[in-house]
Parts: sequence; C-alpha cells; structure tokens
Amino acid sequence: MSILQARAITKQFGGLLALSAVELTIAAGEFVAVIGPNGAGKSTLLNILTGLLMPDGGQVLFDGKDITRLATHKRVRSGLGRTFQHGRTFARLTVLENVMIGAAIRGDRTERAIRDAALAVLDQMGLAAEANESIGSLSYGRRRMVELCRALACEPRVLLLDEPAAGLNSGEVDQLVDRLTELRARQQLTIVLIEHNMGMVMRLAERIAVLNFGRKIADGPPAQVQADPAVLSAYLGHGYNRASV
Amino acid sequence: MADLSQLLINGLAIGSVYALAAIGFVIVYSATGVVNFAAGQFVMFGTFAGVAMLINARLPWPSGYGAALAAMALFGALFFFVVYLPLRKSPIVTIIVATVAVGITMQNVALLTFGSWPFRLPSPVEGWTVTIAGTVVPAHFVAVIVVTAVMVGLLWLLFYRTPVGIGMRAVAQDIQAARLMGLKVNRLLALSWILAALLAGVAGLMLGPIWFADVNMGDPIALKAFAATIIGGFGSLPGAIVGGMFVGLSEVLGASYVSSAYKDLISFGIMIGFLLVRPQGVFGERIQDRG
Amino acid sequence: MRVPFLITAVIVSAGVLLSLVLPDYHLRLLNLSVVSAIALIGLNFAFGYAGLISLGHAAFVGMGAYGLAILTTRMGWSPWRAMLVATTATAAFAGLIGLPLLRLKGHYLALATLGLNVSFYIVAANWIDLTGGTNGISRIPELTIAGRAIAGERPFLWFGLAVLAAITIVAFMIHTSRYGRAMIAVRDDETAAAMSGIDVTMTKIAAFVLSAVCAAIAGCLFACHVRFVAPEDFSYAHSITYLAMLIVGGESTIVGAILGAAVLTFLPEWLRFLGSAYLAFFGLMMLAILVFLPSGIAGLGRYLPRLRSPTRAAPASVSAKELGP
Repeated sequence: MSILQARAITKQFGGLLALSAVELTIAAGEFVAVIGPNGAGKSTLLNILTGLLMPDGGQVLFDGKDITRLATHKRVRSGLGRTFQHGRTFARLTVLENVMIGAAIRGDRTERAIRDAALAVLDQMGLAAEANESIGSLSYGRRRMVELCRALACEPRVLLLDEPAAGLNSGEVDQLVDRLTELRARQQLTIVLIEHNMGMVMRLAERIAVLNFGRKIADGPPAQVQADPAVLSAYLGHGYNRASV
Repeated sequence: MADLSQLLINGLAIGSVYALAAIGFVIVYSATGVVNFAAGQFVMFGTFAGVAMLINARLPWPSGYGAALAAMALFGALFFFVVYLPLRKSPIVTIIVATVAVGITMQNVALLTFGSWPFRLPSPVEGWTVTIAGTVVPAHFVAVIVVTAVMVGLLWLLFYRTPVGIGMRAVAQDIQAARLMGLKVNRLLALSWILAALLAGVAGLMLGPIWFADVNMGDPIALKAFAATIIGGFGSLPGAIVGGMFVGLSEVLGASYVSSAYKDLISFGIMIGFLLVRPQGVFGERIQDRG
Repeated sequence: MRVPFLITAVIVSAGVLLSLVLPDYHLRLLNLSVVSAIALIGLNFAFGYAGLISLGHAAFVGMGAYGLAILTTRMGWSPWRAMLVATTATAAFAGLIGLPLLRLKGHYLALATLGLNVSFYIVAANWIDLTGGTNGISRIPELTIAGRAIAGERPFLWFGLAVLAAITIVAFMIHTSRYGRAMIAVRDDETAAAMSGIDVTMTKIAAFVLSAVCAAIAGCLFACHVRFVAPEDFSYAHSITYLAMLIVGGESTIVGAILGAAVLTFLPEWLRFLGSAYLAFFGLMMLAILVFLPSGIAGLGRYLPRLRSPTRAAPASVSAKELGP
C-alpha cells in the first residue's frame, strides 16, 4: 500500500525542464533514497511533494488522497515532515522552543503537553542537555539535529530528509545513521532520503531511485541500482564511484 | 478642449518633476538596496539650493543653477558617507527609519536657515508663454518637460554608453560579481547617491517656480515618487518615468474633473491596487524581497 | 510567568510614583507615553515578532480614536460601548485588508501600509460630514468608572497604567504561547515555519489584527483623554515615530516597546534647551542610535549581569536534567 506517490510530475523553470514525468511510489514503512548528480531535480521533487512548489503537471497523492494543491502546513498536519538541505532553524528561539514549534502541531495540546512532547523528542535524539541553549551557540551539526527533532515533533508518518549528512563530520554522520536506525526500529516511520553520501545511503536505504536531468533513470534495490549501467554512466566522475569503493 | 490641453501640459510638467525624483530614488535603490525615505527632502534641498544661490546670493541663473547643483552633488556624497556607509548592513526597516530621521533633520535645517515663510523661486523663462494648439501655457511648464526629456536622454547615454554607467549597472545587478570584476564598487555606489542628489536638484529647481519653495514640500513629493515607483515598477527606470507622468496627470486631471480634495487618493488608490494585483508594476520584471 | 508580572509591577509602580511627584505638564507627557506604549505593544506583535514592516500603525490608532469620537459625539453612545465597537471594527478592518496586503513583503509592505495611512489621512481630512475635516471632532466625553469621570492628568494616568499593565501581561502570555512562537518562527523563516505545520498567512494576519486591536485601544484612550481628535494626530509621520520608538526601545521585546515610548515622548522635553534646533538634532540623534545602538535601549540589558534568565529558564532546565542522559 503506497503512502506517498508522485504521479508524472513535471516542472519547468523558464526554459529548463527540472522534472520530466517523474514517478515515485513510497510504501508505508519503507526507507527509500533518492540520489542523483547535482541539478538532477531531487530538491525540486521534495519541494513539490511538500507543496513549496506547484508542479506544472502531475499529481501528488498522500494516503491515497490528492494533495497536489494542498498548502504546505496542511500537508505537515496530515503527517508529512521534512528537513532542509542546509538546515533551517529559528534563530530567535531556543532549542526547546524550536522543537515546541513542531510539537504544537496538535491543536489540543496544552502548553505543558507541548513542552513535554518536545523534551521527549530532544531526549530521544540526545539533545536534552542543550534544550535551553540558543540556536546560535550550537555547532552546525547540532543545529541540523535540532531541525530533525522539530520535524519529528510534528509526528510525521513520512519524513523527507534533504541531504541531512551534508556538512557533518564522519562522527556526526555515524550518529545520524544510528538515530535514524533507532527511529525506524521504534516507530512506524516511512523515510525518503536525498543524499550524496553514498556510504550513508547504502547503510540505510531499502530501495534507491535515481534521478538524472529531471528523469528517473533507475528504481530498485540497492544492489540492482548499483550495477545499473545507466546509473554508472550518470555518475561517472561523481561521488558514487568514490563512495562505493 | 483648450482647457484639457492646458491641463495635460500642466500634468506632464508636474509629472516630470515626480519622474525625476522617482528616477533618483530608483537609481539608489537598484544600486544600494536602500529605500530612501528622504527622497522628497532631497528635492526640497534642490529647491532651496536654488533659493540660496539665485535669491540670497543673487547669482545670475546659469551660474546659480550650476552652484545649486554642485551643492547637491556634495550633499549626495555627504549622505553616502554619513548615512549609507554606516548602515549598509542594517535591516531594511532600520534604513527606512534612518532615512526618515535624516529627512527630519534636513527639513528642520532648512526651516532654521530659511524660515517657514515660502519663497518664490523665479524661472529663467519667467513670464514667457508658449502657444500650443491654440492654448497659451507658461513657457516654464514646457521647459520642464523638455529638460526632463534631455535628462532622461543623458541618463540613457550614461548607463549604456559610458564605462562608469555600465559599471553602475553591473553593481546594481550583482554587487559581488562587480567586485570580482575589479570594479571600484564603493566609488560607484557613492556615484549613485551623487547622481540621485543631482536629479533631485534638477527636480527641485524646476519645481520651485511651479509650487512655492516651502520647507514642508518634501513629504508630498516623496509620497508621489513612491506611488510613481510602485506603479511603474520598483527598480525600473522607464517605470519611474511612466509612473511619474501618470501620477502627475492623475493629480491634475483628478483635481479638475473629480475632486480637488481627493485628488491624491486617486494615485494612492492606484498604487495600493498595483501592490495587491501586480506588485511588479508596469515595467518591473523581477520581484525580489530585499527585506 | 513570574518575570512578566515582576516587570509589569515595576513599570506600574514607577508610573504611580512619578504620578505623585511630577507636575501636571510632565504627567501629560507621561500619559502620552502610556498611550503610545499600548500602541507599541501592538506594533511589536506585527513588526517585532512577525516581522511585518507596517508604516500604517497610526491609521489603526486613528480608526480607534475616530470610531470612538464619532460614536460618542454623533450617536450619543457611552465611551465604553463606543470603545468596544471601534476596537472591534478596527480589528475587522485589519483582518480584511491584511488578507491581500500581507502577501507583500519588505519594502513593498512598507509602502503599501504607508499608502494606507496616507489614504486614511486624506479621508479623515476631507470627509467633513463624518469627521469634521481638518477641524477634527471635539467635546469627546471622558471615560467614567462607577459614574465618576476619569478626568485630569493624574486619575487618567492611574487608569492608563492599569490598562497598560493588563495589556503587557496579555502580551507576555501570547509571547510564551504557541501563537507567539509561531509569529517569531514566521519572521525567522517562513518556509521552515510552514514546514513545521504553521499556517503562515493566518499567523501574519493574527499578528496584524492583534497590532490593530492594541492600536485602536490606544486611539480610544487618546480620544477620551485629549477629548479632541484631528487628522494630524494620525498622519503617517506618527507611524514612523512608532517604528522609531520600537527600534530605539529595542525591537521585538515588550519592555523595549514601553521604554521606547517613554524615551521618545520625553526626548523633546529633555532637548528643550536646544530651542528651535531640537528637531534637526533629533533626526541626527536617531541616526546615531541606529548606527551605534542597533538593538536599542533594551539591548543594553545584555551588558548587565544576567538577572532574568535564571528565573525564566529554571523550570525547563530542571526537567531537562531529569530527562538528560
């Protein structure tokens, strides 16, 4: 049963075709990675899935319902979460308050309940000690963890991660992989990961979809995609070879 | 019909002044990103520079005009150093309030220097008239339109035919790239302030004989220049010209055909309408939030 | 919630203390600062929290003031009832105009709200049948409590301080609620806010309407106290003064809003020795503050020993420790 589906998504920027009839079906509970060279259209696809961009053609289905024209915040409230490529946190709020923004998604929660829910997420992700720090005092890696906590506090059923490992050191990447594995073990969470770090992709993804120049050129289990000649040629000279060695 | 053509000339003359004020505003905005709320006081300074040179110093008009414009250029440079440089990295609202604050100072310096009694700044073509299509109009109105057309032509030459002007356009488009290309960015930014002050000076000198020279004239001019800029398209020079003419004509025609009390409501209503429906204005292409 | 009450208590007792020692003329200024502070707490929602640059705040103050003036003098309503209706009407207007207006950002929003303020002025000055034109509306009745008019500077100051205290507490409560956080999040990053489930448009409109409510209340108090309104009191120059007060006080803090209102209202008095050069100097001083003190007077607090953060952070840090690894 698919929980999130992109049907024939097409998007054009000026004369540039960013996405061309892209199909992507995510089953509930799945961990799918979307990879592709820079400019392949991965972030554009995420922006369309989350409603930050409107597609020129095609549909987005969530839970079987057409959400192509639904406002972003409503998608989030119905269970679609996301983090951003370079990490976007609210600079004038503390770590806890950032996560409380996410936890306030349930309208029936009291202020106390919001705070407790946010603290629980911070604790789960190992950030509880920094709850009252200002965002500015955190390292880039910790800030990205705060963003992930905020997204988790929204209690998503599907979580879209846009290059979560970019800019992290290898220790932080390992920690991130552990946290994501734990998350999946603990709760029914569907994850779509966009990533250049192929080591991370190979450790986590159950299925890999490959975009190149706005088209999907492969979609399948990691081993099969890894051996796909079309994928290899798209990636020649990119990180794929280096990371898979 | 004689009435209408008189109104049209009148509206175009006033519109020319608004257009010049709007062009100065746009040049500064494109180059530096500063929304200059003191733009109207710049024009007021232009008028009073004329009062100082022509009436107080009794200079004959060619050298008087030259001296007034030289003073305005100096003032533009001063504004660049005292207001723009210290605040260039501040948020947009700080710059808005700062330009307003400096505008208040400008207005009150003028008040302390010249007093609150309005002056009559004479025109070089004082008393002359021109007959157009059977209508007699003051020669000054025609001169204003001609001078504005010449100024626009000179600006076009500057921006498209001289290295300095092309450099200024490069800075307006992408300041980092301009810096990498080895352009002396700060000098070009200073030049845009000087240019804006000069244009305001010309506008002020031409406005003096139409309105009275009054230290409170800055605010209404600024508001009209803003309306012109929004209607024409923020950041667009042709837009500033068309917007200025539009505001001038709607003011003069509105006063005579609709209501003199509500004449200003027409241009502000249209400005708000444009903001809501087409914020890029008539000529604007890119909408970018510099805030 | 202890700190806000403490701050409010300090402000109110300072005001009451001043009311006992100051001469009437200074009390008048103090009253004007209290009214401005109420309007500024409103503007702080729109600008300080949600980042909406409004150059039309004085128009909302004016709508409240004119609404009350018209309802009391033309229709014979009691000031209290008129205040309620005028404030509600102003809020409704802000909501309606906000819907299309708040899609604009930065200087576009600034100029649109400026246009709104100028339009308000033109209507107020020219719709003579309703507003009395530039002559304004006089003989506005005073507010009464239990049949006694709140007349004179001192009683009005006490009443104004009570209103200011109530609004300050409500503002603090909103600040620390999900709604306050949502406004701040929208100013920091609209996209990330939407992606955290915040309805960005509604949050902006809510901030705008809240700002209009405070403005209208301030306007009503102004009208009942001065007992006379004219278009000049609500020109766009006042909107800019409000923004200036907020920046001088220290943007995006409630205490800053109150400080800014007080300082900029009393500044002319303190600069009296300059005579007619006062305004010329005032502009330069504003420029100096913006350049050298960008976070305002409240920003100076950062250099003081950290008095407030321990109290405020205490409950949270305890629970964080309990849950910590």
